[in-house]
Amino acid sequence: MSIPDFAEDQNGKKVILLGNEAIARGILEAGVIIGAGYPGTPSSEILSTLAEMNKYYPHLKLEWSINEKVGFETAYGASMCDVRAVACMKHVGVNVASDAFMTACYAGARGGMVLVSADDPNCYSSQNEQDNRYFGLHALVPVFEPSTPQEAKNMMKYAFDFSERFQSLVLFRTTTRLNHGRGEVELGDILKIDRDYSFDWDRSRWVCLPSHSRVLRVRLLERLEEISDFADEFPFNSLAKSRERVNGTRYGFVAAGVPYSHLMDALEYFNIKNQVSILKLGLVYPPPKKLIKQFFETVDEIMVIEELEPFIENILKQIAFEEGLSKELKIHGKDYFPENGEFPSELYLENIAKFTGKNYKIPKVPDNMLIIPPRLPILCPGCSHRASFYAIKQVEKKLKTKFINSSDIGCYTLAVYKPLEGLDAQICMGGSIGLANGFAKIQPKENPVLAIIGDSTFFHSGIPALINAVYNQNDMLVVILDNHSTSMTGFQDNPGTGLKITKEPGTRVIIEDLVRGCGVQSENLWVEDSNDLKNLIVKLEEAVKAKGVRVFISRHTCSLVELNEMRAKKITPPKVSIDPEKCIGCMICTNKFGCPALYFDEEERKASIDPSSCRGCEVCIDVCPQEAIIREKN
Amino acid sequence: MKIKSFNLLNVGVGGQGVIRAIQILSHAALLEGHKVRTAETHGMAQRGGSVASYLRFGSLVEGPLIPRGMADLVMSFEASEAVRNFNYAGPETYFFINNHLIIPPMIHQLGMEYPNIEQIHAFLSDVSPNIFFIDANNIAIEAGNLRTMNVVMLGVISGSGKLPIKVENLQEAIKLFVPKKAIEVNKVAFKFGLEKGRSLRREIYEYT
Repeated sequence: MSIPDFAEDQNGKKVILLGNEAIARGILEAGVIIGAGYPGTPSSEILSTLAEMNKYYPHLKLEWSINEKVGFETAYGASMCDVRAVACMKHVGVNVASDAFMTACYAGARGGMVLVSADDPNCYSSQNEQDNRYFGLHALVPVFEPSTPQEAKNMMKYAFDFSERFQSLVLFRTTTRLNHGRGEVELGDILKIDRDYSFDWDRSRWVCLPSHSRVLRVRLLERLEEISDFADEFPFNSLAKSRERVNGTRYGFVAAGVPYSHLMDALEYFNIKNQVSILKLGLVYPPPKKLIKQFFETVDEIMVIEELEPFIENILKQIAFEEGLSKELKIHGKDYFPENGEFPSELYLENIAKFTGKNYKIPKVPDNMLIIPPRLPILCPGCSHRASFYAIKQVEKKLKTKFINSSDIGCYTLAVYKPLEGLDAQICMGGSIGLANGFAKIQPKENPVLAIIGDSTFFHSGIPALINAVYNQNDMLVVILDNHSTSMTGFQDNPGTGLKITKEPGTRVIIEDLVRGCGVQSENLWVEDSNDLKNLIVKLEEAVKAKGVRVFISRHTCSLVELNEMRAKKITPPKVSIDPEKCIGCMICTNKFGCPALYFDEEERKASIDPSSCRGCEVCIDVCPQEAIIREKN
Repeated sequence: MKIKSFNLLNVGVGGQGVIRAIQILSHAALLEGHKVRTAETHGMAQRGGSVASYLRFGSLVEGPLIPRGMADLVMSFEASEAVRNFNYAGPETYFFINNHLIIPPMIHQLGMEYPNIEQIHAFLSDVSPNIFFIDANNIAIEAGNLRTMNVVMLGVISGSGKLPIKVENLQEAIKLFVPKKAIEVNKVAFKFGLEKGRSLRREIYEYT
């Protein structure tokens, strides 16, 4: 395999990069050594691209950390040693890292230190759409926001100089369309930083106890003031002033990030790009006050275009108030654009037309609309989670009860849909066991409490909650769905696989040892193969009926990972088919189990298996009461 | 070729190779010297769900998303997904659709009905007169591997004359982005698709 485009040491070469690849390239060009974080869509490809680069740039030291907090701390520890370091995570990951972040901002950066927060307007792959620009405001840390892959690369490289110049952390905020969109990128040179890396023995800075933190807080506020003064010169802010009017009014537009690109498309569409003033922010916090005042002088009415919260809008309104302009200057934003979701590009056209008196109508949906039923993401063919949830349902049926299935974040969250409907509550990483502590305190007798969690998620934040359950005797059954992979985010390794981010061997951590170490008694621990369905149901019933805090590890490798392993070893997966003589068309396999490789032939009234999607896991053999599903002889 | 903006929407079902197709197309557009933007579906939505990727290239392109009604070309790897995304198209849009239907398993459980190819054709014909169905799955199998369906479709849109990218540049990009051991089968798939596209081109030419 030749060297990938993003890793080439060719200054000036133009290549197509995914936003996350461009961010990784910026990190490489900046001379960063440490990269750490936890996978999460839409951020995951940043660290995995750096891991690819690692083959050609051995100075990089990277890791998938156990969770975002440890990832942030790993990077920050390096920064304390004058090393350039980056921590990468999705927006909700910053919540986990925030305990460290909210105080690290006091001591600031020594080696350049950037925290990447990949936000997800529209919740494409997330449980919420929180706006992490507020973390900058909250921690008094500058927030960078790029608009295109090229700008992301350049801005990331610049962020480390900036961080060292002001001794400040930088919050680098992106959104899904930047992370997961491609664009042309001109590569730059890769900095080699020659420093004598060593720890800085200044306790008054690095030991954040009250007497030090009071002083550090003053320094933090001064630092923000310095950055605020510099903001007008920030190279990724720009003001395009126009003296012209549209329909008699001097209009101004403000945007940052991906919305800036769509704003420019919309202004081009109406052919008014040169007739309006445009303030583009690359540094969304702190605001460039002089630039904003100049902007105010050239316009009568302003439209701020930003997804999610009115972050920039509120800043502008505050400055307008301070300047005594709050009456004469009209600042619009959330009166036109919603505070939820991603903005489709026609919404820019519609609202800018309304604002400036141009004509545009969003095309109408025809009356004879052909309804296409939803095609939601589902568990893959052969997914071992399906077997686990099917077993849980069978035990519920047998015991004539309904478990409270407290669940977690991972592929298995998809089991909430029909036919498994195996989740009753889910809020965040590790929350399954956390919530189950509460359920256990309320009604453990009528509805047995199950906490269902994946392997990587258990490592991430399930362990403290399990210890809490043991310590406080909050009786529950914890089901750990161990598929040896962090699959939802792209099959990353974790302590259970024992492989590092570079695929080199690390030290494997055995889940059952951990569970025992948390205080779970050996007789309350089960380890079973998820795909041995008959056995799984028997053992699960046993575990449900037992007392105390029990842990049931349902273990089988992710079917996609397993399939790739088989292909590599040139093993043909077993073939499974349906005997039409025996199939009575009861639809248990298609409607209760619901593997996508199974389908029901309406004309024949028989189930059938699509050989192109069947992974040969053979679980459905145990699902069919008629024994009509059979393993084909090779 | 100098182009202000060309908007291509590629839709399908997670796992059909939409991301790869967009990667190939965006690289080919770069070879033509264009500014390129894409937006793609990664992560959770890929698990057998609907996927939509946007590709825009040309001198005036800034943002990655295509406004409703403004797609120049819709390449659909699954027939019903073309309907799901019809509102990106207008009367000028060209649709190239794999005539294969993937019925979501949830349909059985929801007790809903799925439209057939005839209904899909009839509906889309009201959106645009330029609707072309292609037997891309079978062409890919004929070429040697069903998984080359995405490259067959790239051949089709190229041969149709409706994609303003030179064939050589597309072929070059395919070579770069398909697995090394699959280069040969993809070459065949592209050629078969190209021939199919060229026969459609004659149809388009006679029609207009």
